[in-house]
Amino acid sequence: MIPFVAMVSVRGRESRTFRLWVPLFLVWLLLIPLAALLSPVIFIVCLAFRVNPFRGFAAAWQLLTALSHTECAVEHGSAGVSFYIL
Amino acid sequence: MSENRRQILQMLSEGKISADEAERLISALEEPAAATPPSGSGSEAKPRPKYLRVQVDSEDDGAHEGPTKVNVRVPMQLLRAGVKLAGLIPAQALHRANDAIQKEGIGIDLTQIKAENLEELVEQLNDLSVDIDQKDRESKVRVKVFCE
Repeated sequence: MIPFVAMVSVRGRESRTFRLWVPLFLVWLLLIPLAALLSPVIFIVCLAFRVNPFRGFAAAWQLLTALSHTECAVEHGSAGVSFYIL
Repeated sequence: MSENRRQILQMLSEGKISADEAERLISALEEPAAATPPSGSGSEAKPRPKYLRVQVDSEDDGAHEGPTKVNVRVPMQLLRAGVKLAGLIPAQALHRANDAIQKEGIGIDLTQIKAENLEELVEQLNDLSVDIDQKDRESKVRVKVFCE
């Protein structure tokens, strides 16, 4: 399953924590028509570089589905930024 | 006879503990030994780690802004997918990357790295644990890389 939501949390030194939920499914919805339009070009480029396009698509899809539960947090003193893909 | 068992029997003979207490102590001594499988049998099934974790802790550098902490968690599945994608890099690009690497004096031949080998490499990361402690006068940095 590809991730649908990401969470970005920003905490300033003296301010409150600001939490932003990013609806990734909207990004995917926008990318689907673009990917459909670009797929013949990608296909031709893959063939030109002797890369199996189906293996390429499969690997890219696997990469997308594996993004879930990726987490990155940086804190400096009382300030911090964190990013979490649900 | 083990030393512990001898001590329990000694205490029993001296009347410091009752027979029931001695029995309880002896059975408590025997329990861990029975619960632990013989070492080297390879029967312990280690759970497969799901994430590669990188933690960096840096203490206050003197600016009194507090410590800096970095915590990154990457799913192992993402590493595997990345490795598969890297396996699709065309040969021309690999040769160019090889040339650039060798100019830097690093003796790695990227064309010899196959997708199967990389998969094996990711599998071996399961047992990876790297601890780096750097201490100097101004700062103290601790880096931990491990799988969980």
